[in-house]
Amino acid sequence: MTPQSLLQLTSQKCTTGCPILDRLLYGGIPCDSITEIVAESGSGKTQICLQLSLHAQLPVSHGGLAASSLYLHTEFPFPFRRLHQLCLSFRSSNAHHFPVNDNPCDRIFVQSVHSADHLLEIMSKTDPFIENSKNQVPARLIVIDSIAALFRSDFDNTPVELKRRSSLFFKISSKLKALAKRFNLAVLVTNQVVDLVGPNEGINGLRIGNLGCLHTSGRRVCPALGLAWANCVNSRLFLSRNEEVIREENEKPNGQSCDFVKKKMRKLYVVFAPHLPESSCEFEITREGLFGVER
Amino acid sequence: MEIWRLPISASQRGKLISAGYTSLSSLSSISSSDLARELKVSESEAMNILKVASHSRGSETSNASCSIVEGAQSAWDMLHDEESLMHITTSSADLDNILGGGIHCKEVTEIGGVPGIGKTQLGIQVAVNVQIPNDFGGLGGKAIYIDTEGSFMVERAFQIAEACIEDMSEYNRFLRKDFQECKIKMLPQDILENIFYFRICSYTEQIALINYLDKFLSEHKDVKVIVVDSVTFHFRQDFDDMALRTRVLSGMALKLMNLAKRFSLAVVLLNQVTTKHTEASFQLALALGDSWSHTCTNRIVLYWNGNERYAYIDKSPSLRSASAAYSVTARGIRNSSSSCKRIKMM
Repeated sequence: MTPQSLLQLTSQKCTTGCPILDRLLYGGIPCDSITEIVAESGSGKTQICLQLSLHAQLPVSHGGLAASSLYLHTEFPFPFRRLHQLCLSFRSSNAHHFPVNDNPCDRIFVQSVHSADHLLEIMSKTDPFIENSKNQVPARLIVIDSIAALFRSDFDNTPVELKRRSSLFFKISSKLKALAKRFNLAVLVTNQVVDLVGPNEGINGLRIGNLGCLHTSGRRVCPALGLAWANCVNSRLFLSRNEEVIREENEKPNGQSCDFVKKKMRKLYVVFAPHLPESSCEFEITREGLFGVER
Repeated sequence: MEIWRLPISASQRGKLISAGYTSLSSLSSISSSDLARELKVSESEAMNILKVASHSRGSETSNASCSIVEGAQSAWDMLHDEESLMHITTSSADLDNILGGGIHCKEVTEIGGVPGIGKTQLGIQVAVNVQIPNDFGGLGGKAIYIDTEGSFMVERAFQIAEACIEDMSEYNRFLRKDFQECKIKMLPQDILENIFYFRICSYTEQIALINYLDKFLSEHKDVKVIVVDSVTFHFRQDFDDMALRTRVLSGMALKLMNLAKRFSLAVVLLNQVTTKHTEASFQLALALGDSWSHTCTNRIVLYWNGNERYAYIDKSPSLRSASAAYSVTARGIRNSSSSCKRIKMM
């Protein structure tokens, strides 16, 4: 057993495709680590996952991993159409990396997952899959979208069942981390949120990370799967969306007037990460993808 | 009373006895500067006394140490040892204060808290601070960092190392204006080289590594701290036999304590937090159960109080229960920036 030399250990990152988001994340999603994205539905989790699967194929000099990705999805249907749309704009902005016949979608391997045990089964098969992929384009990114869906229904709310659920979290996380270390993979996991209702929040009201409480769509929420799962991930990012009423000055024929316009405000927060300070940035989702906004 | 027999002046003898040195063995483990200070005599006088004492001790037929059991130490000797032990600073003066100077060597310290509170940051800070040279009040030693979760980011360690060197240069500039030679020749790369980093992926690897540390430490005697981040992760999976888990954990804890005592180093174990279901409500507790909580010498709990991070001494044989605020900055662990920095004594 010899210690690793820290000077040779560089943590590679996979770019998100947007320089503003990359600056927030100090380069992108790190390899050999599990990053979790927590948000309510419709906030953009799947968008980031798809965008990352495409950008992982960029060469290392451009921030990618020169790799294919494995996309494990638990919610149906898989957004093929959106992936194709993103692929088109990805191709056009990175045309010099991809020859004409090449379709980046060919390097995204999609697998549906039905339950936690199914996930464990898949992970035991992932070893040879990644080994074999080394011959063509190595797989360096695993996306699980979303991990919460696997656990929300199978377990009762008794202490015994919750304990069993917790030990499954650690088992899955341990396998993912072992895979990540062995093949230097980046692992991205998405999670859902639960509402916090009433004054007695119990364990869900426990503060984890930089944000005292997470707000989205005007409600207080907390990430699903609880404290045990929070111990299993290395970094956690939170996407929030809110409708804001903004006063806009408009030029009208009868002089200046102001309108009150409803605008969708989307923000990405770093909840906790070993290498990132507390920070946040605004972003928007367009046809071309998810991009940070500099105000 | 062997002091009577020593060929020293009557006034010196009187000073020795009134200071409490009634037998030769009590003079065996004290340094001349300490003795000079205690007796209020010059250092050369103290050195003379010690020389005479060791001389007459050597000519005695009885054994120098009046211990009953081989390897036993008197409490007096242990007190001296403890006072001469150095502590590893955490870079936050408030935190060092409640810790009695910093992380203690020869002891196992367990630090636990919720995710994101700064456990890994504290671990990295300690692994960097143990390398502060003796001139600056540090141990000048190396560190072993055992990473079980993959939370260690090299760039962050580099950042903290850089900040540590900058702080040492500042200290140099302010207090040692005349000693131009004491320029800091350390680079962040040197600090990273002195951290022996092990990455562990299963509990069997963890146990194997801790068994191997004995050999490793005999080859690298300058290691002064072992950080395990975190000690619990691989033990929270399904263990069919919980008794096996308890046995394995206590065996591991015993080995670590042995290493701490034998090689005079500090062991820092980072732990996670879990919920204990008691009747209707829940309670937060450090993971690994009640039997594990007996095995560590010191226990520090990190928690959020409003928007601030706090550390609380939960268990310690020598320190008082207290809590102090700290913050995690770009430079590492530092004092909290809030204005009310009073240490709450409980």
